[in-house]
Parts: sequence; structure tokens; C-alpha cells
Amino acid sequence: MKTRIGLAVAGVGLGLWGLWLLLSTLDPPALIRLPIWLGGAVVADDFFLVPLTIGVGWIVARWSARPDRHRAVGAVRTTMLYVGITTLIALPLLLRQGKGVNPTVLPRDYLRDWLLLEATIIAGGVAGYLVQRFTFRRSRASSGDIGGR
Amino acid sequence: MKLPAPPTEKAFPSPLHHPRVATVVGRWLATAVTICFFTGLYSHFLQDTPSWLPIPSRPASLYRVTQGLHVLSGTVAVPLLLAKLWTVYPKLFAKLPWPPTRQALGTLLERASILVLVSAMALELFIGFLNTLQWYPWPFPFRQTHYALAWIIVGALLVHLAVKLPLIRANWRRTAEKVPDSLPPAITGLTRRGLFRTVAGAATLVGITSVGQSAPAFGPVAVLAPRKPNIGPQGLPVNRTAEAAGVTGIDENWRFMIMGPQQLSYTLDELRALPQSRSELPIACVEGWSQGARWEGVRIRDLLELCGASMQSRVRVVSMEKGGFYATSELPPDFAADPLTLLALRLNGGELALDHGFPARIIAPNRPGVLQTKWVHRLEVIS
Repeated sequence: MKTRIGLAVAGVGLGLWGLWLLLSTLDPPALIRLPIWLGGAVVADDFFLVPLTIGVGWIVARWSARPDRHRAVGAVRTTMLYVGITTLIALPLLLRQGKGVNPTVLPRDYLRDWLLLEATIIAGGVAGYLVQRFTFRRSRASSGDIGGR
Repeated sequence: MKLPAPPTEKAFPSPLHHPRVATVVGRWLATAVTICFFTGLYSHFLQDTPSWLPIPSRPASLYRVTQGLHVLSGTVAVPLLLAKLWTVYPKLFAKLPWPPTRQALGTLLERASILVLVSAMALELFIGFLNTLQWYPWPFPFRQTHYALAWIIVGALLVHLAVKLPLIRANWRRTAEKVPDSLPPAITGLTRRGLFRTVAGAATLVGITSVGQSAPAFGPVAVLAPRKPNIGPQGLPVNRTAEAAGVTGIDENWRFMIMGPQQLSYTLDELRALPQSRSELPIACVEGWSQGARWEGVRIRDLLELCGASMQSRVRVVSMEKGGFYATSELPPDFAADPLTLLALRLNGGELALDHGFPARIIAPNRPGVLQTKWVHRLEVIS
């Protein structure tokens, strides 16, 4: 219990210090708008990104219930997740392509690079699936287990 | 028309919404946050050094490493935060206890602390990443907000740990996993280990495709990094161009001045005629990118000696830059006296490009790029 109280007291103290820093360094218009952005961050996470992940996960799980799909579902799920997270991070880069404050900021062709990255991830997913199938068949053949899934 | 009812906590069937999963992913996220916080604090103190804190000028590449880690841990925290939020998502729909009791008040406070934690962390990662692109679409100052939010995050995190400590302890080590008995889920459902692998894989993927802006070996695959360390005049990126700083070059009346015990004045040719030294030092920026370079110029300690100042002097560096927060900088005694610290006139074998600070700039070890003042025309010995 002592540890918990200590943690809580330290936490509240540091949080108040942060709040004081905000109040003392930001001017009133900025202080009024900051909570809107904080709320927006929660909405973006809890009411868009996470529900999207859960929704897509649900669709993939339903899709995989059909015969013979269960073998591919792992590769499909991982591939979609990797495509999603890299696209999320690439988004600001794609939006700002060519709008860097000078030519050394955002110097790559981010659209081409993003397409290449996603193609690589998908190719990796397909390769992973094929390797898995191949080793699965071999292990099944060597064990003599014909009837198993 | 009646709106559909919001989901309840029980509406999420996956057995992965489990405290054990939250504990493991939470540990990873906490590690990233801790690294990010301390490296960020270090960067803050380098730029705003409190008088009680002596910061050494060595190791020369320390800031390059810490700031690279800062941006890397922040970027990697994005998939980790999303995974953590996914795991505990059903909790968002837990019923608030009613009627209000003392216990209910506790629950309410706990949820308020989580709201602070999630909102601050999500916004912190968002503005931090956009800052690496130098994109500021929000109506508040970046640096002050980023710094204050960091303390709020750490505070809310400690409160969160205090609340969850029994649950964390109970799930610190592996706990029994519920295995569904029907066939399809058993095969298609993700196991905990499978989830951990996938999340770790996502974090690694994001790390590898962005770390190349600070670690040149990964440069070719840094497709998610806003910088390429070898792109720019003389193979070095630029943050603030001469045009943005309002600097157009120099005329024949240009003089470099040192205000110390003696006042000295040099033309550019006279500066070039002074004993020249070489330093291999990186430019390491707060935005996380860094690149090593070869610099040639006059040692600041030699200049201190020439004007009769002591080796423990603090030096103010004044730029020709018009206004702006970084038009002047200060070299603490350790940095001014370091033999690697130069008033650089040449870069990578050529004369300094205008965007890199022609005719002269400061280059010192273990410092953020914003303090490596460009277009220097005066040094003032302060003490």
C-alpha cells in the first residue's frame, strides 16, 4: 500500500508541475485551444483508430470461419496490421510531400516509397503463408497424419 | 428513430482483452515512454541549462545518440500505444458505478487520470512526430507544450501504476490462457504469444523504417523518415536556410569580432590565416536526424587565448541572423574550452555553404543542432 500511495503522490505532483508549466508558458488563446486538441486526440484513438482495428479484426475472423481459410488468417491479419500502422505513420509524410520548409526536409519520393513498403509487406505476408503451408504439409506427411487439419 | 445502444464491456469476445496482455504491452510502452522522457529531458536541459547542472562536452556524439533514441522511442510508441488501447478498449464501456459511493468516486478519479494519460500521450506523440517534419498545424507553441505534456504524462502514468499495481503484480508472470474449445476459433483466433509477436513486429517495422535518419546504415530503408542524412548542400541537411534567416552573405567590410579582455577584429582572410584545426563532429538536430561531418576552422580556445580570456570563460555567440530565438547562443566553459569546438570555416573539404553558416559557424561536441549557431560575426566573453 505504501508503494501505491507513494506512486500516486509522486504522480499527482509531477502532473501538477506539468500543468503549472502549461499555465505559465502558454498564452490564454493557446490554453483555450489545447483542450480541444487533447480531446481530438482521444476521439481519433478511441472512436476511430481502435474501433477500426476491432472492426477489421472482426471481419477477418468472420472471413476465416469459412472452410480452408483458417490456414491463411494469421498471415492476412499480420499483413493488414503492418500495412495499417505503416500507412498511419506515412500519412503526414504523404500529405506534406513537396511542402517541406526547405529541400532537405522530406527529400524522398514518399508516395513511391510508401507503395514499395506496402508491396514489400504484402509480399512478405504471402511468402510467410507459403512457407507455413509448405512446412505444414511436410510435417503432416512425415508424421503420417493424413486426416488432420 | 432510436439509435443503436452503445456496446457494453462484455460485447468484446476476444480473450486478448486481458490484464496479462495489458501488462505485457504496457511494459513495452512504459519502456518506450521512459526512454523518450529522459532523452527529452536531456535535450531540454541542453537547450535551457539550469545553473546548477553541469553538462559535459563529451562524449562528443552523446546528443546524437540520445536525440536519435528520443525520436525513435516516440515513433515506436505509436504502435505500442494503439495496441495497449486496443487491449483495454472494452474498459471504455464499463458502467460507471451508480448511485455514487466512496468507491464510485475512486473509479471516477481513476478514469479521469486515464483520460489525462491517453489524451496527453496521443497528442504528445502526434505533435512530436509532426515536429520532425517541421509541420505545425496547431494553435499552440510546440516546444513549451511538448515539454509540459511530458511531465503530465509521467505524472498520470505513475497514478495509473499506483491504481493498477495489484493487477500488474498478479499478471507480471505468465498466467493461464483461456483456450476456446470450438475448432475454428482455436485455429483462427490469435494466441497471446501470437499477439505479442505481431505487436513487437509492428514496432520493429516502424523502427527500422524510420531510424535511418539518425543511423546512416539504415538510410536506404528509412522510407518513413522525414530526413535523409546525406541530402543537402555539402552532404548535410539544413534546418534553417540563409533565406529564412534573412542572411544574404557578406561584403568586403565584414569583420569578425571578439569582445574579451582585448577586442579583436578579423577579416575573413585573416581568420583563414590563423592556425586551423579539424574536428569530426555530427550535426544532431532536435528533430532526431543527425549526420557526421568534417569541419575545419579556428578553435574557440585558441581565440580565447588570443584575446587574453581565461579558459573557464563562458562565451556568447552572436549571429548575423535577423531576430529569431537562436540568433544568439551561449557556450558554457566546458564547451568553449573543448579542443573540438571550432569556429568552423570549412565543411567536408569545401568552403562553408551559405545555408550552413558562411562565413563562419560554431560546431561543438554533444550539442543540439539549434545551438550550433550559423553566420557568426561576434563572440562575447561573458565571464
